Amino acid sequence: MIGIEDFGLRTRLRLMHAIVGVLFVILFLRLYQLQLLYHSEFGKRSEENSVRTVIKEPVRGYMYDRTGRLMVDVGPSFSVTVTPVSFDTAQVPELSALLEMNPAQLIERINRGRAHSRFSPVRVSRDVTYEVLASVEERLYRLPGVSYDVEWKRTYETGIRAAHLLGYCKEISDAQLTKLGATYRQGDVIGSTGLEASYETFLRGEKGFDFIAVNSKGQMLGPLDGGSRDVDSKDGFDLVLSLDLGLQAYAESLMTNYRGALVAMDPNDGGILAMVSKPDFDPSVFSGVTPADEWVRLNNDPEKPLFNRATMTRYPPGSTFKMLLAVLALEQGTITEHTTIRCTGGYRFGNRIFKDLHVHGTVNVREAIQQSCNVFFYQLILKTGLDPWFDQARAFGFAKPTGFDTNEETGGLIPNTYYYDRVYGKGKWTQGQLVNLGVGQGEVGVSPLQMARYTAALANGGTLLQPHAVSRIYNKRTNRYSDVDAKPVNIGVSKKTLDIVREGMRWVVEKPGGTGGMARIPGVPSAGKTGTAENPHGSDHAWYVGFAPYENPTIAIAVLLENAGFGGTQAAPVAGKVMRRYLGVPDDVWRPAPTAAVPTKDSTASVAHPDTTVLH
Amino acid sequence: MLSYFKEYLDSKTLLLALGLVGIGLLSIYSATVDVNAAANFYRQLAWAGLGFVAMAVAALLPIRTVQRLSWGFFGLMLVVLLVILVIGSTIKGARSWFGVGGFGGQPSELMKVATILAIAAFLSRSETSLSDLKDLLKTIAIAAVPMVLILAQPDLGTTIVFFAMLIPILYWAGVSNFFLVAILVPILVAFGALLGTAAFLVAIAIGGGILYYFRENRFAAAVAFGITLAVGLSVQIMYERLPAYQQKRIATFLNPEADPLGAGYNVVQSKIAIGSGGLTGKGFLRGTQTQLNYIPEQWTDFIFCVPGEEYGFLGASLVLVLFALLINRAIRIAALSKNRFGSVAAIGIAGVWITHVFINVGMSMGIMPVIGIPLPFLSYGGSALIANMIMAGLLMNFYANRKEH
Repeated sequence: MIGIEDFGLRTRLRLMHAIVGVLFVILFLRLYQLQLLYHSEFGKRSEENSVRTVIKEPVRGYMYDRTGRLMVDVGPSFSVTVTPVSFDTAQVPELSALLEMNPAQLIERINRGRAHSRFSPVRVSRDVTYEVLASVEERLYRLPGVSYDVEWKRTYETGIRAAHLLGYCKEISDAQLTKLGATYRQGDVIGSTGLEASYETFLRGEKGFDFIAVNSKGQMLGPLDGGSRDVDSKDGFDLVLSLDLGLQAYAESLMTNYRGALVAMDPNDGGILAMVSKPDFDPSVFSGVTPADEWVRLNNDPEKPLFNRATMTRYPPGSTFKMLLAVLALEQGTITEHTTIRCTGGYRFGNRIFKDLHVHGTVNVREAIQQSCNVFFYQLILKTGLDPWFDQARAFGFAKPTGFDTNEETGGLIPNTYYYDRVYGKGKWTQGQLVNLGVGQGEVGVSPLQMARYTAALANGGTLLQPHAVSRIYNKRTNRYSDVDAKPVNIGVSKKTLDIVREGMRWVVEKPGGTGGMARIPGVPSAGKTGTAENPHGSDHAWYVGFAPYENPTIAIAVLLENAGFGGTQAAPVAGKVMRRYLGVPDDVWRPAPTAAVPTKDSTASVAHPDTTVLH
Repeated sequence: MLSYFKEYLDSKTLLLALGLVGIGLLSIYSATVDVNAAANFYRQLAWAGLGFVAMAVAALLPIRTVQRLSWGFFGLMLVVLLVILVIGSTIKGARSWFGVGGFGGQPSELMKVATILAIAAFLSRSETSLSDLKDLLKTIAIAAVPMVLILAQPDLGTTIVFFAMLIPILYWAGVSNFFLVAILVPILVAFGALLGTAAFLVAIAIGGGILYYFRENRFAAAVAFGITLAVGLSVQIMYERLPAYQQKRIATFLNPEADPLGAGYNVVQSKIAIGSGGLTGKGFLRGTQTQLNYIPEQWTDFIFCVPGEEYGFLGASLVLVLFALLINRAIRIAALSKNRFGSVAAIGIAGVWITHVFINVGMSMGIMPVIGIPLPFLSYGGSALIANMIMAGLLMNFYANRKEH
């Protein structure tokens, strides 16, 4: 026999030990790497593996009107779910019949869920009716893997719509999901328009989580660590609006047959009392599941019911803009309250004649407002100049967004020298361009919201308010209200000037020969101004702005009726009724004022220059 | 009395083997207790008892008897392998199980022991010399016959173990460097062939260079190079013929994370289990990966995850240290043994164990392919446990008889 020394060389022994040693060192290093260096990552992954997170949806915040009446609420919405791993596809015909849906669609939805996770329930039918839910529930025992869950959906408590202001929620889009990241998940509902969108962060609340131990087959084994790590959901904050529920409902009813908008504002704090845009839509269409054909119909409707006319339109304000110029001229000293002109029914500038409907004779500034004399203002803007007029308009909040809560608004357009130079070229436009601007025609674009704000500033003695629909936010957790900031700005107009202009506006409503008699409120003196804006595409747009009571006003209003004709006959009565309702003057007391001016076209700026087009 | 024990009882091997069996039983208990597989624990406990008897027998038989029985044992196992190839039941795509009275058995596990003993017996004949090409080829043939039968089952993992065990035996028994290289180079080339044509060509070039460097004569070098080429090319063809699950395992080894829910699932979950164990582990029966059954049939090939997850770096290191000590003990016994039979067989046993441990633990940690061979002493499975305990018993036998020539 041969001993080790004969063939087992020392080098061989050493090499054997060395190879074994190296292999074990490799294993140790890898073990060290996995367990000590990468421990946190793998620890997290093992936790994700074995823990199923069940999300507890918070209840979305409610919306109340100024008196605490509930306007927007939430109610339960039931979705039928299928957990792919435990579902038997032989049950597809029965389930699809119960859900009244196409079997192919049902299979497709289950398969899409399966691709994501076999163990997570997928919603195959959202917002089912109680009848469907009841019939599914009765048969749950023979439909393994089928279940249902409860979500929340918006319900609207009252007879109002206010659809453009309140807005609606929709299922979150993929683009939003990418942008907003961790807060939201697929299938979540997010505020899409109006206050629902702009107050989303307050309304949505915070999700809660239940952690449940799960084995590799997806079977739930019970709460993880006895539920000690669970997080409760936190309900969203409630919004208290400045809106007056009754007034809003009434205003909506008055506007039913019109295309246009109405904005009523508290002239003391800028709170919106009513905001109507017609035609509108039923916001409850968007809670739960929106039928596709309904969505297409709303989107393609030529009347644009989804468009908020109260904040998004850019129409010329017509004669309702005359007060602005009067304020400017009085402040500049261009005129005094006694300055008069002679109206001969027309004004010649260069080779063009700008017409007036009536021969007003000799009028001062109050009378010019009262009777809506165009000639007075045609001349006036030539004296004050374009850029001061522009600055005055900016001071009243035009040509810029108001900063209203919904973030859906237009800044509008007020021209100045810079603007005309840019559009027509330096020296390519003349002073004749300005004449129309004096009566709120031409290249002027304003929204009803801006007009209501301007009217409120005239009403309250020169304070430009921040219009807002939400006055307070209620935190359910701390039981505390916080006020929404709305900073007023003083326009810097003297009381004397404002008193003159306001008196002119009062004469519009109260004095014989005024154009706004149909807005009169019995027993309550008020002030206002009519406007009829020319529209090259169709009938004139009717405007009315006003406020009441004349002393210490509590409501300021702007009404725009598209293609409705005369402001004095169409818009003024609507505004008058809304103000009357707000001030608590009974309906039956009201009669049309016998001395109301004969309905006339109060502003006829015949457009001689082809470039002077009306903006929309 | 005490000195007698010291002289003849290899307490180190005994304690190391029993320690590993104990950890194995704990791990199997933990892996099966909550997944309706607890019966496996009690079955393994029974196998451990039987294994202890087998170990005692292997330790106490006179070494001459062992040597003489080697050929008979080898022949018997070959017959068994042939029989199951024809009639064996198919488990996981391989006909490797042998139903005996309700107990499934994997004869290829015992075949390893038989082959080691047969080669050791052949090499310990005084007329055998590995410098003789004929004797070298005969030695290789002894390993090749069971390898072919096992590969035909097909069981790639066990085939690899046979190959890996042969190399240290030949090296230990004094084969020339050129022959060793001529065996290793085709493996290198075959591995290159699995990775693609570019790797294949690089491997051919390197392999050719190595063969040329170690050449004893040009003719032999050329033949070896020819064999290398043939092996490399046929690997491509063989790969195509492998069962899909093994192809997938090879592909998965190359990139386990690419298919975390499919072929790479086990590796990903196993890495999570081990990695989440941290320094001290989650505690006995507290490993979430293990208790929640994330690793299918974890009590078999992926048993290393259990100590890794539940006892952490400290526990997993203990397992590795026990293995390292046991394998070094086998090499030490090979060096101590004055008789060639015991010396060669001990090296063979060390070769089997290091191959199993490195591939199995490496696989659990994602640095080796998932080729499905059990972790000695720990993995569930009666035949493997019996075979390993017999090998431990044989080591004790060789130690006790180390001074015999």
